[in-house]
Amino acid sequence: MDKRITLKISKIEDETKDIKTFTFNHKLNAKPGQFIMLTDFEGGEKPFSISDCSENEFSITVKKIGEFTSRLFQKGVGDYMSVRGAFGSSFFVSNGKVLLVGGGYGSPPLYFLAKKLLKAGANIAVVNGAQTKDDLVFCDRFSKLGIKYQNITEAGCLGRKGTSVDLAKGALTKEKFDFIYAAGPEMMMKALQGVIGEVDYEFLFERYMKCAIGICGNCTMDPLGIRLCVEGPVLPKKIIEQLTEFGKYRRDASGKRIRY
Amino acid sequence: MHNRLKTKFLGFEVKSPLVLPAGIMDMSFSGLDISAKNGAGIVTSKSLTLEQRSGYKGPVVAEFESGLLNAMGLCNPGIVDGLAEVNEFKERSDTPVIVSVFATNVDDFLELTNHVNKSRGDFLELNLSCPNVYDEFGIPLASSKDEVFKIVKAVKRVSKLPVIAKLSPNVLSITEIALAAEEAGADALCLINTVGPGMLIDTKMVKPVLFNKFGGLSGPCIKPIALKLIYQAYSAVDIPIIGMGGVCTGEDAIEMIMAGATLIGVGTAVHFRGIEVFNKINEEIIQFMDENGFNELSEIPKLEKLK
Repeated sequence: MDKRITLKISKIEDETKDIKTFTFNHKLNAKPGQFIMLTDFEGGEKPFSISDCSENEFSITVKKIGEFTSRLFQKGVGDYMSVRGAFGSSFFVSNGKVLLVGGGYGSPPLYFLAKKLLKAGANIAVVNGAQTKDDLVFCDRFSKLGIKYQNITEAGCLGRKGTSVDLAKGALTKEKFDFIYAAGPEMMMKALQGVIGEVDYEFLFERYMKCAIGICGNCTMDPLGIRLCVEGPVLPKKIIEQLTEFGKYRRDASGKRIRY
Repeated sequence: MHNRLKTKFLGFEVKSPLVLPAGIMDMSFSGLDISAKNGAGIVTSKSLTLEQRSGYKGPVVAEFESGLLNAMGLCNPGIVDGLAEVNEFKERSDTPVIVSVFATNVDDFLELTNHVNKSRGDFLELNLSCPNVYDEFGIPLASSKDEVFKIVKAVKRVSKLPVIAKLSPNVLSITEIALAAEEAGADALCLINTVGPGMLIDTKMVKPVLFNKFGGLSGPCIKPIALKLIYQAYSAVDIPIIGMGGVCTGEDAIEMIMAGATLIGVGTAVHFRGIEVFNKINEEIIQFMDENGFNELSEIPKLEKLK
């Protein structure tokens, strides 16, 4: 019932200059793709995808983008934060040959997924992209899993210039995959959908969330009325194909449509 | 849908007596549509204001053992965009829709009414009872019989749609308020809005859980209060009542009918029992009718009115 729990931050790791991973000691029992709502009661409660979860701890990876995350970046180990969750749908765990496509700070939940896929015996390839190398996260963590891993930036700072969709397109022309997973900016996923062909897939979506328990309606997606906090944030191909708002618009905190 | 649940309400015949109330699953045409597809007989828009409102910072909801506190802060995209969602809903559904509007004075209510007149909405609901905007707007209009009378009377003069007054439970005499709304010409009443407001505290961080500190109480714990107020209002007026407050099951809905409600709102139960809750309650009402020998909803008896 009351899933709110107030926890001390147990570890803080710098990923890039404006991305950090916060870890809490708590048995969350989360699945890859699920999210928590986080607050310090100072104004704002925000959804964060879980970037790792083991028996007794879980992590979220956060980019400093506004007032709430700026305050979060001031916190230290031992400071309290209040958590609700884990909420929402999770990724299907395949044991086949799979491709994970990450963009920007969307890729951390794919790391949690990759660990589960490894356990299930999947053959995993990851492509990870960002604007610059300062925005590219989890390269070391993915590499340490001992799976096929490639990254790329739009600025070309690592030699290759392009997006994770370019890498995915390359991989898809060379090899046959059973399943594709993606998490990242919506327009990246929209572009990816265009190059996937017939392969089955799941994408992780983001919408403005408030209640996270399926009643306020702020995160519904048109025209199905899919509640991203309950039926999402991970959605399967057969649903995504019907979403007319995908890549077109989202709703802000007032419910007003904002075009991409 | 079962023909046996057909209900007459202000000249409409609705497929089920269950109503999606304002504030639940109603930010988008698709939220209204999925609720109607899951068995709601009437759906209600978000309470719309003249200008868009982002609402309060989170946390905006807090759960506890027997209910929910919320202080959304009347977030809505504004009357123009909100009615566009209503119109888009009507493109794809024949389910009647109540357009809920919120304002703090007669002039703004009239301006909102003029917008609603040009929409495809079927009913106009005046939200006179939001409990969560005290700091901005003071006590709800529904606390004063004179304010309720003045606003309903003025809106009735210009509204092309039947007018429903949404009332607050947090009043000394619901009878007096209900009568004022009826005398001013309201076509129906909707009650109750959330109770309180109340608060919850995080004991580790020593902070109110809601950022707004206080929030309206909903869920199973408010049902007895709702039943009592609906019964008192029903005893006083002749206009139909949309009864709501803590309804989660068919049995709860039957109690609402017996207390005097014609239609029944189901809100917080969407959290407890899923978006399928409308069809689940529809089935449970049918089951009650079967077990007790009622063929039609209208055969279910109501309590004798209070004298």
